[in-house]
Order: sequence, then structure tokens, then C-alpha cells
Amino acid sequence: MNIFSRVKLFALPLLLLLLGLVGVAWGADGAAPQLLRGDYPDIGISSRAVVWVLAQLHLFFGALILAVPLFVLVIEFLGIITGDQRYDEMAREFLKISLVGFTLTAIFGVILTIALFSLYPQLMGYLARVFDGQWLVYLGVFLLENIFLYAYYYSWNRLREGGQKWLHLGLGLMLNLSGVTIMILANAWVTFMMAPSGITTDGTVVGDIWDVMHGPLWHPMNLHRFIANIAFGGAVVGAYAAFKFLSSRDPVARAHYDWMGYTSNFIAILAFLPLPFAGYWLMAEIYAYSQQMGITAMGGILAWLFIVQAVLIGTILLAGNFYLWSGMSRSEGAARYQWLIKYIALVLVAGFLVWVTPHTLILTTAEQAALGGNYHKILGPLGIMPAKNIAVNLMLIATFLSFQLYRRADKVATVPWAGAGNALMTAIYLVAIANIIFVGVYYGYFTNTVYKVGSSVIQVASTLVVICSGIVIDSLMFRGAKKLPSHWGQVSDRSQYALFALPVAYTWLMGLMGYVRSSVKTHWHIYGVMKDNSPDNYIPTIGYAGNMITLVTVLFLLGLLFMFWIADRRIKA
Amino acid sequence: MPNKRTSSLRLVAIWLGALAISLLGFYLLDHGIMSMQGLPLNLDLTPAQ
Repeated sequence: MNIFSRVKLFALPLLLLLLGLVGVAWGADGAAPQLLRGDYPDIGISSRAVVWVLAQLHLFFGALILAVPLFVLVIEFLGIITGDQRYDEMAREFLKISLVGFTLTAIFGVILTIALFSLYPQLMGYLARVFDGQWLVYLGVFLLENIFLYAYYYSWNRLREGGQKWLHLGLGLMLNLSGVTIMILANAWVTFMMAPSGITTDGTVVGDIWDVMHGPLWHPMNLHRFIANIAFGGAVVGAYAAFKFLSSRDPVARAHYDWMGYTSNFIAILAFLPLPFAGYWLMAEIYAYSQQMGITAMGGILAWLFIVQAVLIGTILLAGNFYLWSGMSRSEGAARYQWLIKYIALVLVAGFLVWVTPHTLILTTAEQAALGGNYHKILGPLGIMPAKNIAVNLMLIATFLSFQLYRRADKVATVPWAGAGNALMTAIYLVAIANIIFVGVYYGYFTNTVYKVGSSVIQVASTLVVICSGIVIDSLMFRGAKKLPSHWGQVSDRSQYALFALPVAYTWLMGLMGYVRSSVKTHWHIYGVMKDNSPDNYIPTIGYAGNMITLVTVLFLLGLLFMFWIADRRIKA
Repeated sequence: MPNKRTSSLRLVAIWLGALAISLLGFYLLDHGIMSMQGLPLNLDLTPAQ
């Protein structure tokens, strides 16, 4: 462990402890402080912008280091049960790549903490008081995570043989448990600010720490961030694999990094498929907590950002699918399925176009007259949620189909019921698609709002039925299947650029939706309890927000290049 | 060619069976999910309320 790592290990806990104690001492009375403009330090530039950049960078790297050890653990476990040494080597390489990410997360965490306590001292003092003992738990878990990380990484070779490997896996499990706990604890701070619980309307704490943490948005946020982080982590390490693939001329190395890129994309897409449903749950809970907050997000000034979100998700799905289609060329059995690709592409493009169709346009009187009203007679109905729900569910089903075809490409089922299995799978796809369109059109446009909202759950369930039955049927049907030759490393260079597109789109998307989530509080630090009276207590213009999100995305990508560079040096050494 | 005919009939039966199972499954899914939300449906899937 070098001196830099030692500093990282102790700097953040000590700083947080110190600032937490300052905050507790500051707190004094029970109620939340009501601040005036003069209570905020003036540093000459926007305090919100400073915190925005630092928090987002801390979160990006934090998401990465939460996710990578999760799939490192799973891949290492696969290596044990299959006895294939390549899994073990790949798992270690994934961990090596993310190692610098732990240091960068801690560095941004320290700077963010200093910035928060310096620029918003009263707010942080109040939060420190409300969360009281939880800060200490957070610090303890943070220390544990670092101890487990170093133990897990440095004991990889020492605990390689026999039963010791299980001990090593146990260390990885503890690393992941502490990482997830940190995320869950930190999520409670954010969700408390959005939907406070365990306090009175003036901010006096009346419940215990569990009441404070256990707000209505806590669990949806935990699930959403957990899944999103895995998808994000997969996309980021996929870019590393693509970079190594493209820069290598050695066929063995190219085969290795091709496989690594495939595994990363597998993780990114598989985790991405249920993500919209977790997001849907979070938004439903936001609406249930405060209709005003929900409308601000999806029907007010922030609604246009959901169109940008659609563009980014469309990019992710198109890039992910393109990579899968290109990857099918590795296998000689892929020709059987290639005729389907054009239909999948059609569904993706049509779904994408529906999703990006806006509902409310800002029009001049002349444009309004030319259009014959506020809404276009054909495009208007495509701008509302029922059409978008149909589009997104069909896009997810199409992506799962690509995924399933890719998995089937190098196999031939040998079970006697393979024909019946295929018939059932095809029927499930067809009926699910018909069901999604039927409930979307009928309940969405021809019944009342309650049924319209309720029917979206049917659409989600139909998509999940396709995904779950696909996994179950294929795992049973291809047990003992005949394997066709597959040539790792023989994939087009073009496909690797899709692996670069994924982390860029994911990063931008996370920055965008993080901004939306934070902005729904409008002019409140803690919604309905503690007003934001700083000079930044307004929702900025979409252009300003877009520039800020782009800035943090570019900064993160530069940090990522630095991380890859260090990882590359470490692997070469 | 009785064997070929039997085989074709069997194939049709498999596909119709698979379609019937899926239709029934999703029909029950629609009823189940809407009922769970307090939004019952009639047999023809129109809103009961």
C-alpha cells in the first residue's frame, strides 16, 4: 500500500468525522434553520455549480467502484465453478482497472465534503444533526470497505488454491456488502432532502434514525442506483476492453479483450433491461409523495430533459444492439438468425422516434394556425405517455431478442422438445408484443386516467415475462447443446466503437437524470421544510444545465482515461 | 404419406398449443395485475368500474 492509498484510507473518514462533529455542535435547536441570502458565503462564483461538478464526479467514480467489484465477484465465482482459469484472470483484470477509481472517488469525496460544509454550513450542520449517529456508521463502513478492498486485491494470488479460494471469495463478498451499504446510507441523505421523514414540518426530529432514513423514496432510489451502477460499470470497463482490443496486434490478446468486451457489454445490457422499471417505480413514488414534484419533473420545465433522456437511451440501445449483431459474426451458427436483425432494427428506430416525439411545443401564433391547434393531429398522440410506454417496452423486448439470438448463435439445441420450446418462446414474444400495444392503445387513449396509469404495469409485466421466460426456456433447452465453433478476436473493429459510445451515453444520462432528480426540489434544500435562499435557488435554463452536464461528463471521461492509463501500466508491470 | 401428415398435424398442434397457452397466460396476467391495483376488468377486458 503506497503513501497515497494510506492518505486516502484515513483522510475521508477523519474529515467527515470532524465536519460531522462541527455540524452537530452547530445544530443547537430542534427546528431546521431558516436562512436568509446573507447566510450563504459568497465566493464570487456559483456555489451550486461548484458542488454540482464535485458531487457528480464523486458519484460517477463511486458508481464505478460499487459496480465493478460486484461483477468481479460473480466472474470469480464462475471461474471456481467452471474451473476455467480465464474467468479468474479476467475478474482480476477488471478489479485492477477500477483500483484507481477508489482513490479518485475518495479524493472527490473529500473535496466535496469540504465544499459542502464551507458553502452550505447551516444546511450541512442541520443534516449532520438529523443523521447524527449514522455518520459514524458510514465512516466505519467506509474504513471496512477499504480494508476489504486491499485484502481482496492483494491476496488474489496467495489465496488461489483449493479451499483458500473460497476464503478469497468471502473477502470479495464483504467488500461488496460494505460498498452497497455505503451507497444505501448515502442515498438516505439524498432522499431525505427530497421527501423528508422522521421530522415535523419545522424540521424538528421526532423519530429515530430509522424513521429519518426510511423515507418514501429510499427503497426506489436504492434499487434504481444499484441497477444503474452495474450497467454503468459494465459500460465503462467495456470501453477499456475495446481500447485494448483496437490497440493490440497480438491475436491472443485480441481474443482476450474481445471476450472481455463481450462480457462487459453483457453486464451493461442485462442490467440496463430492468432499469426503466426501477426508474418508473421511483417516479411513481415521487408522484405519490408530491404530485407537484412529479409534475415539475415530467410535465413542467424539466419535461424536455426527458426527451434528451430518450435520445440517450436510444443511443445506448442502438449501440448495445449493434455490438451484439456484430458479435454474432464470431460464430458460424449466427447465419440462422441474421434475417431477424432488420426487423429488430426497425422496432428500435420506430420506438426511438416515438420516444423523442415531444408533446408540448413552443409555437408562434402563425405556426399554431398552420398546425391547426396546439398539437399535431398525428404526432400529438405520440407525445404522451401511452405511446412512449409502448415504444420503450417494445425496444426492450427487441433488445432482449438480440441478446437471446446472440446467446443462441453458437449452439444447437439437442433436447427432444426443442421444437415445442421454440414455438412457446415465439408465441410468448408475439402475444406479449400484441398485449403491450393493445393495453397501451386501449387503456391509454380510450379509458379513464386511472386505468391508463394502471395498464402501464401490465406492459412492464409483459416485458418481464418475455425476459424471464427467455432465460428459463433457453437455460433448459440448451443444456447439453451442441456447440458450434466460435472465434474470439474475429470481430469487426467497427463494433468496438459501440463499446466507446456506451459509457459516454451512460455518463451523460446519469448526469442528466441526477440533475432532474435534484432539481425537482425547486427552491427547497429540504423539500417543504428548509427553503433555499441562496442566489442559486432557481431551476436553471435547459441550456445551462446541458452545459454543466456536458462539463462533468467530459471531466469524468478524462478521469477515466487517466484510470485506464494507470491500469495499463499496472497490468504491463 | 401418413407419416408426413401426422408430423405436420403435430407441428400445427404444437404451435396452436403454444399460442393458446400464451394467450391464456397474458389474459390472466392482465386481469391479475389490474385487480391487484383495485381496477377490475370485465371478461372482455373492458374496465369494470
